[in-house]
Amino acid sequence: MAAPSRTFSESWYRVANQKVCLRSVVRVRRQYFRGERWFVLENPFSNQFFRLRPEAYEFVARLHPELTVEAVWQQCLARFPDTAPSQEAVIQMLSQLYHANLLQYDLAADSAQLFERYQKRRQRELGFRFLNIMFMRFPLLDPDRFLVATLPVVGRLISPVGAILWLLMIGLGLDQIFNHFSELRIQGEGLLATGNLPLLYLGLVVVKTFHELGHAYFCRRFGGEVHVLGVMLMIFTPMPYVDATSSWSFRKRWQRVLVGAAGMIVELFIAAVAACVWTHTGPGVTHQLAYNIMVVASVSTLIFNLNPLMRFDGYYILSDLLEIPNLNQRAVFQIRHLFERYVFKVEHSESPATTPSEGHWLTAFGITSTIYRTIVFAGILLAVADRFLLFGIIMSVACLISWMVFPVVQFVKYLASSPRLDRVRNRAIGISVSALAGLIILLAVVPFPHSFSAPGVVAASQRLVLANATAGRVVALLAQPGQPVTAGQPLLQLDNPELTLQLADAQSRLNEANARYQQAMKEDSASLEPLIKLRSAAAQTIAKLQRDADHLILRAPFAGVWISPQINERVGAWLERGSDLGLLVNPSAYQFVASVREEDGHALFGHPLRDSGIRLNGSADTRLAAQDWRIIPGGQQVLPSAALGWAAGGDVPVANDNNNSQGDRTIEPFFEVRGTIVPAATVVLLDGRSGRARFWLEPEPLIPRWFRSLRQLLQKRYEI
Amino acid sequence: MRSLPTQDYRRSDYRVPTRPFTGLDAVVNRYIGAYRSRAAVAAGLLKESESIIQLEREYRDLTNAELQRRLIEFREHFRRGGRQVPAYVGPALAAIREAADRQLGLRAFPVQIMGALALHRGLLAEMATGEGKTLTAGLAAVLAGWSRRPCHVITVNDYLVERDATWLETFFHFCGVRVGRVVGSAPPPERVKGYECDVTYVTSKELLADFLRDRLHLGRLQDPTRRLIRHLLQPQTAARSPLVLRGLHTAIVDEADSVLIDEAVTPLIISASHKNETLRNAAGFACEMVRALEPGVHYQINHRYKEVELTEAGQGTLVEQVQKLPGLWQGPERRLELVIQALVAREFFHRDKQYILDNGKVVIVDEFTGRPMPQRTWQAGMHQAIEAKEGIEISDPSETIARLSFQRFFRCFHKLSGMSGTAREAAGELWQSYGLAVITIPPNRPCARQHWPDRYFATEPAKWEAIAAEARRIHALGRPILIGTRSIAASERLGALLAADGLEPRVLNAARLKDEASTIALAGDPGRITIATNMAGRGTDIKLGDGVAAAGGLHVMASERHESGRIDRQLFGRSGRQGDPGSAQAFVSVEDELIQRYLPGPVRRTLAGAWQRDSAWKERFLAWGCDYAQKKAQNSARKQRNTVLRSDLWMDQALSFAGADTI
Repeated sequence: MAAPSRTFSESWYRVANQKVCLRSVVRVRRQYFRGERWFVLENPFSNQFFRLRPEAYEFVARLHPELTVEAVWQQCLARFPDTAPSQEAVIQMLSQLYHANLLQYDLAADSAQLFERYQKRRQRELGFRFLNIMFMRFPLLDPDRFLVATLPVVGRLISPVGAILWLLMIGLGLDQIFNHFSELRIQGEGLLATGNLPLLYLGLVVVKTFHELGHAYFCRRFGGEVHVLGVMLMIFTPMPYVDATSSWSFRKRWQRVLVGAAGMIVELFIAAVAACVWTHTGPGVTHQLAYNIMVVASVSTLIFNLNPLMRFDGYYILSDLLEIPNLNQRAVFQIRHLFERYVFKVEHSESPATTPSEGHWLTAFGITSTIYRTIVFAGILLAVADRFLLFGIIMSVACLISWMVFPVVQFVKYLASSPRLDRVRNRAIGISVSALAGLIILLAVVPFPHSFSAPGVVAASQRLVLANATAGRVVALLAQPGQPVTAGQPLLQLDNPELTLQLADAQSRLNEANARYQQAMKEDSASLEPLIKLRSAAAQTIAKLQRDADHLILRAPFAGVWISPQINERVGAWLERGSDLGLLVNPSAYQFVASVREEDGHALFGHPLRDSGIRLNGSADTRLAAQDWRIIPGGQQVLPSAALGWAAGGDVPVANDNNNSQGDRTIEPFFEVRGTIVPAATVVLLDGRSGRARFWLEPEPLIPRWFRSLRQLLQKRYEI
Repeated sequence: MRSLPTQDYRRSDYRVPTRPFTGLDAVVNRYIGAYRSRAAVAAGLLKESESIIQLEREYRDLTNAELQRRLIEFREHFRRGGRQVPAYVGPALAAIREAADRQLGLRAFPVQIMGALALHRGLLAEMATGEGKTLTAGLAAVLAGWSRRPCHVITVNDYLVERDATWLETFFHFCGVRVGRVVGSAPPPERVKGYECDVTYVTSKELLADFLRDRLHLGRLQDPTRRLIRHLLQPQTAARSPLVLRGLHTAIVDEADSVLIDEAVTPLIISASHKNETLRNAAGFACEMVRALEPGVHYQINHRYKEVELTEAGQGTLVEQVQKLPGLWQGPERRLELVIQALVAREFFHRDKQYILDNGKVVIVDEFTGRPMPQRTWQAGMHQAIEAKEGIEISDPSETIARLSFQRFFRCFHKLSGMSGTAREAAGELWQSYGLAVITIPPNRPCARQHWPDRYFATEPAKWEAIAAEARRIHALGRPILIGTRSIAASERLGALLAADGLEPRVLNAARLKDEASTIALAGDPGRITIATNMAGRGTDIKLGDGVAAAGGLHVMASERHESGRIDRQLFGRSGRQGDPGSAQAFVSVEDELIQRYLPGPVRRTLAGAWQRDSAWKERFLAWGCDYAQKKAQNSARKQRNTVLRSDLWMDQALSFAGADTI
């Protein structure tokens, strides 16, 4: 329950004998908002608006240059004893009307005061421009006469006939797109390529110009004046804009909504036309431009303009649909009210909403748009800082001021001096300070569990690439590839006739050496020595050849699974020595080899790696445990598997040059960490399967962590 | 008499005040203020005044006629103005001092010359009570009056206006300065005569009211230039100027703290009563309606903010009875306003505290000065609600015709200066609001007043008992006693308590104003006991009777600490004036209004607990609580005054289409 506004005001004498009335140019329109009647006053010269309740309008409507305010007030009292505005309310209202330049008064205005007001407004506008540096506006020209001149032609399109045409065109466009969907996708990959950017921007400007003209024509069509066409630097990208605010006074809601949606209507139309052009041209500039226009006019429209959380068309459309004018501001007030009411316990805080459902809408919009905007602004900040170095830092500072410092300063000011908090100031300050202190403690002191993840591959701990030690022709497979084999089990039978001959040759040479040795024993002992050597050499040759011959049967060195998908095809083929005969993998023990980014490297050393989990791609629902982690000290540059690199769809950046045909050489060095996987029943461990390992670190408070991240970011991006 | 058009220009001349500083400007301005009132300024003035004293030989031997001739010569210099004027200030003051000596028999002390210099320079001189502020103002007024620019010496009440103007008349006359006075009862022609003089003694309220009335006369032609053009174009319209004042130039404010600070809480309002039958009826009905409402059941009382709020039950009762009200007041907002006013009248406005009844009329008592303010009314509705509550005839609401805050008015002087016994505490505000830098003038003779340690009590009855006992004790010594109370009711109660003891206290409060002068005149006699609400004695000296000084002088007892420490100091300053002996003591209890109102609930409860447990540090705790509450009260009062100025400025901006208000 708020204090009622006082029927009698001590300042009444200041207005009582004044003869004021609405300016003759002021237009009054009746509008309904959420079922309630309102009167909207509009000054077409300054494009200023003012919304009045019917009770207040009863008073304002009676103002007349021949009547004093007092007389009018008495009239109202006599006619509407219950609802006539109080003196205080009248003074408040007249002052607002005056400041909205809607009031005509017979006294020469206080020119010094007017000038001061003008200066203040200029200053505020300048400040506003700086604070909105990401959406700076520069009014350029007045398109109204052009619009009026062309409206007889263009205006005809804004009609049921136009709507049908529009629907047909959109249908046609959609048809084209569905028929050429695959091409569309292929070309889409090159959309953001550097070479395409100028064309993309050109397309954007063309589309947005039509978009804005759409607003202007629709507005003009329904009787609103459009006096400003200018350029807005949206994140430093010049874009056209028009001021169609005069549509706010339209009585019909659907007209206001249509003006808001006009830009999108036009863009979608253009997109449809561009789709037809694109499908009917061959590769070339026109083709590319048509493609760009098509994408820009459809995708950007739907993503940006339709989104009510940014203050673009969607916002105004939503505002009109909900019949809550000034949605954003009132949402802010609503949030403030909730805060004051339930946190600071301000007794007389009143919601700006007149009905509960309006309150819910305001709350919902307030919360979502705040969160959304925070994210978008943070994104813009990072993106800008990323793209433009010095400039970007200046811009970031400006944005930081307008999006962070400014609100904080305002909040402090609000806490310190807002009359709304007069009675609960101590509590409000107490709560705010303790909330801040709590947050700081939470962030700076309380350790948070902390982890990072690294991509890696499964590798068997016992794995061997099998190769034949002796060349030969494959005679027979002694074991089936893909089946478990025991240690020493023969896998493959090779045949090498040459080896057999060599063996026979060597044997005969040994025999000869033996014979000569016997002979020498009988005859002469002087030549005995060389013969012994000869004999042992021959024996050695035999032994070697014998070993080679033994190797003609390939045996599994350990128990495991012999993986050799193509070996069947090689039966009968000649294998050079050292040919790849597949992999022998011991399935009983697997390792996970993870590649840890350099940034996370600090976390690896100094303390034991704690309980970690591995999730393999394709079996992300099961967490595999691992133990005995070992860190390979020293940075690596070659990935354990090319599957982890960008080139093969992984997420580790790999070099993109000729030296890296394998696609496994990384741009930045990384640390390799190996751990033994504890097998789980549900996950099939296969050598080479990729996944991610999560490493839990010692819990650490967030602020030092953020600070470290920031330092790393700066170091990485700016080498500071 | 046909006046020149330009004369009219002068008559409405005043300085258009600049906007008060805000933000960083205000911070910088604060430092400038601190610099302007630095100790070196006072030291420089003292040196200068000593060198002026040295000049006395030059004038001592002159005959009266010769001295007067010299004075007239000085007057010519001042009249002409120009760059040489500062060089003449010293010799002129020496001559004026001589004149005062011959006409009044008072030879100004160096500190008084120093004060006069400070006034001449537009500073605020802090001079202890009884240091001869009246003469100091007179010296400076002569300098200002010589220039023929309007000089107003502003005091707090008509009594002082009369007294000072009468007392100094011969002196001013001797110096070639015409002196006039304007008091509340004077009719317009007499006022014009008063303001026509070179120096005019007047109260701030009268001056501001005359200023406002002049502005009302001018109507739409506020701007002198526009008026001048009109006069030149249409000479026939140039009728005799209806203006009473002849512009604003120099103001010397006596008791500057009460004029500029305490009384600045409410703006001055010129009003006319306006027939409003429905409001009168409605107030009566509302009063009847709320009779059935009970606190806690139908409404909640918030003592701190002086508000009431209806509960659900209260609202229900209201709806049932709404038919009784006149149609205009049946709307939900209006009837709520009306009923709440009636409840506020009942809960927060008490007879003999906020107002007194005088001949069947409600007369507001100023909370700070304790004086009745017959001109003042509460806002429309509230006044009627109180009248309804008292069951007296309900008057028509008065309708504001013009209003102006003192803060803005005093910014309209080209040269504002002032004197006060207690300005240090408010130095910051005086600088920020009025551009007055405070400098301290040392006392002529060191102060011999003893400040006895405060005494603390758990309950009010205990306190009153102790006050009575102490009064008896001091009375037995033959010393006069002055006891300050906060409300009329308290002063009467204490009077009865002492009378029951066989003492003969004289009570001085808003209800017994007639014998103020005689009571004060006798208050210094041996064995006299005077009980006064805090108005009493402000701006008036209590002169000690025979033999009192030997007995130890006047003893001042404060029965309560006031919201403002300045007011406490003023009360204590009644004793020990001009080096007389004297003593002062304050009595404080946990139940005092100051503590109850401004100490936060938990602290208050802890404090009460400490007294119940008879804790060892209960007194220190209470002393601290008292200081804290006082600081809080002062802050909130300062905020309120700021709000007055700010809302004035806001209103100007908001309604500038209705013409600049008065300024």
